[in-house]
Amino acid sequence: MSARRWSAARAALVLVVALILQMTVIADLRVAGAIGDLMLAVVVAAGLTGGADRGVTYGFVAGVLYDVVLDTPFGLSALTYALVGYAVGLAGSALVRTSGWWPVGVGVMAALVQATLYTSLGNLLGVAYPFGDLPAIALVMAAWCGLLVLPLIRVMWWVHGHSEPDRLEVLWR
Amino acid sequence: MAISPPTGSRTRLAVLVAASVTLVVVGLRDMPVVRDVREGAASITDPVEGAVDTVTSPVRNAWHGITDYEDLREENARLRADAEEAEAAEVTASDAERQLADLSLVLDLPYASDLPEVVARVVSGPRSNFSHAVEIDKGSDAGIAVGMPVATGAGLAGRVTQVTASSATVDLITDPEFRVGVRLATTGDLGTARGQGRGDPLAVDSSISPRAQIAEGTGVVTSGVDRSAFPPGIPVGAVASTRQGSGGLALELVVDPLVDFDRLSYLTVLQWQPT
Repeated sequence: MSARRWSAARAALVLVVALILQMTVIADLRVAGAIGDLMLAVVVAAGLTGGADRGVTYGFVAGVLYDVVLDTPFGLSALTYALVGYAVGLAGSALVRTSGWWPVGVGVMAALVQATLYTSLGNLLGVAYPFGDLPAIALVMAAWCGLLVLPLIRVMWWVHGHSEPDRLEVLWR
Repeated sequence: MAISPPTGSRTRLAVLVAASVTLVVVGLRDMPVVRDVREGAASITDPVEGAVDTVTSPVRNAWHGITDYEDLREENARLRADAEEAEAAEVTASDAERQLADLSLVLDLPYASDLPEVVARVVSGPRSNFSHAVEIDKGSDAGIAVGMPVATGAGLAGRVTQVTASSATVDLITDPEFRVGVRLATTGDLGTARGQGRGDPLAVDSSISPRAQIAEGTGVVTSGVDRSAFPPGIPVGAVASTRQGSGGLALELVVDPLVDFDRLSYLTVLQWQPT
């Protein structure tokens, strides 16, 4: 099997495992009525390590997988994750090698943006997601995303490999 | 550094955004393919979820031990007080039950508690921050079908929206997309209750005059009017407050649901289908 196919197989494995963990573990760990979003954290890590292309692809695939097991508007997770994954990929390309902890900041921002985007687009589609719940949801998602993004970057290195050392790698030394 | 993505990235973004929007449109049109895909996925993920649940339960129990300790202590004290009150209320309740049965007979309505029912365990809560559905461990093999009302001992909890052979998805009444026809237990005024999100009260759009006085605590039950999706008489909640509805022509009621959605462990599916 070619290296590219191995990467695709590993990526599929990571997404499926993330989905199962999201459904069984993370979904039960509520803080202030809100939960973290492991799928989003995977998308952020993919965008940070692989740029806009990888970010948007992971975003779309992770979103479709998540939409299939949810009762929320079909395709909305795919749309918001794809947009966030793309933006994170751009940010990753622009900010690389500026600071050791910037992935955490990007992860936190991505979660805040995704929660806001999802609530807003949901309301545009006629689902009255209360904006009053948004602060708690966004903050809890941001905290989880910030916490998970660094380990998940390592997972992305396992999936896709990385050719040159950079500041992300320094974090693990 | 300027952010300037290559053209290929922009093309991929455009294609995947277009694909996402297509999925959204397909979902909004409620095409059967979406339901089929979701039911197919549920029949695959449910067994895996059950197995992983067992393995990961220590992690979740530890988390709940940390985050819920104070709540559980308070709840324990409250339950002790409630049990004492319940003994005294039993006599009054039995009389009210007889009156309600009499009234239902007079109105020629099916009595909700006479419906066949299936008790099921809640195996997973909402899976995302924007989901208001829970999974139960019984499905079509136990006689559960899409559309059946779901309740707890306290009152209406939701409705079955998806079924596999061994599991079902229940959309809770807190879902902003949830609608249920209701009536006030005291006056019989009709309205439509809608969810407003987890932890928030229900909003009831009514045709009640803005000048009417509705007492706080007034009971709200399912109306069961012609072709209703729910049988009549299932308790839904109690009026917490009232406010002017949009346009100022009618009252909007703020109703606290009777069901405690933070502590759902078992649900009763009423085997009732709209006629």
